[in-house]
Amino acid sequence: MNAPNDERWLERARALLDDSADNLDAATLSRLNRARQAALAARRKGPGRWAWGAAFAGAAAAVFAVAIALHRQGLPPASTPAASLQPADIDVLTSDDDLDLADNLDFYAWLEKQPAGGPSG
Amino acid sequence: MDAEISLMAVFDESRRAVGAGEESRPLDMFLRGVERRALRMAELATGSRDEALDLVQDAMFGFVRHYGGHDGAEWPPLFWRVLDSRLNDWHRRQKVRGRWSFRPDDKNTDEDPIALAPDAREPGPLARMADGEASVALEAALRGLPLRQRQAFLLRIWEGLDVAATAVAMRCSEGSVKTHLSRALANLRRALEAHR
Repeated sequence: MNAPNDERWLERARALLDDSADNLDAATLSRLNRARQAALAARRKGPGRWAWGAAFAGAAAAVFAVAIALHRQGLPPASTPAASLQPADIDVLTSDDDLDLADNLDFYAWLEKQPAGGPSG
Repeated sequence: MDAEISLMAVFDESRRAVGAGEESRPLDMFLRGVERRALRMAELATGSRDEALDLVQDAMFGFVRHYGGHDGAEWPPLFWRVLDSRLNDWHRRQKVRGRWSFRPDDKNTDEDPIALAPDAREPGPLARMADGEASVALEAALRGLPLRQRQAFLLRIWEGLDVAATAVAMRCSEGSVKTHLSRALANLRRALEAHR
């Protein structure tokens, strides 16, 4: 990249520039120090109070939304069970018939197959 | 009770501050290491120490805010990138205000490459100057460079960034860095030869 003899004068240029940076006056060094400290202090402070307030409000809104969603999930859906009941089911539930028939269906099926005079044997 | 609570709050706050101070120490050390060269770089660009201090302070704030959380190994090109951006902004503002004086154009193509080629037997343009004279001549020659050439020279030759890191700092391609640096070296050599 650089010509072979560039290195000699570039080395001198580097040394001169280093000297100029090393020999800054005390007032300038003090201002640099203050600038650095101010930049670091701004980082330590982090976001301002308003930013924390906004973050808190956002978090509260998110928690509220999640709570509402969970609450709705826990409730029975509006369409069940009444909306899904068929008329026949309603008849069964509201009739005064003895539910014994349903419970002993096997027995009644067997009884129906028996001759009219009663079981033989 | 209230006094006890507020005392604890003060204690917590001071403990947090000490912890944050420890956390900022590497950043502090890094900025300490580059701030003087950053100031000189800004001063060469602006010609004013006050303006340079303002730009370096602004660059420190921007760097700490945007890149302070990055890995320390990434800091050098990122810091110079922020400063380079501030210097570009400053130059743009100067142009708008019409205070911009003519400087050699980056795109000048009428250079004779043979005439610009250094003589290998020459010790270089700064060789025969005493320190004080050489320093003044170098400063004047650097100030005479266009911004991009000067930045390429200072970042590559003085700061020691490699081509890739310089390209990151200057937000340009590696090819552009090489072009800017080549022109910077030719222009500096010519200016320093003329100064002799």
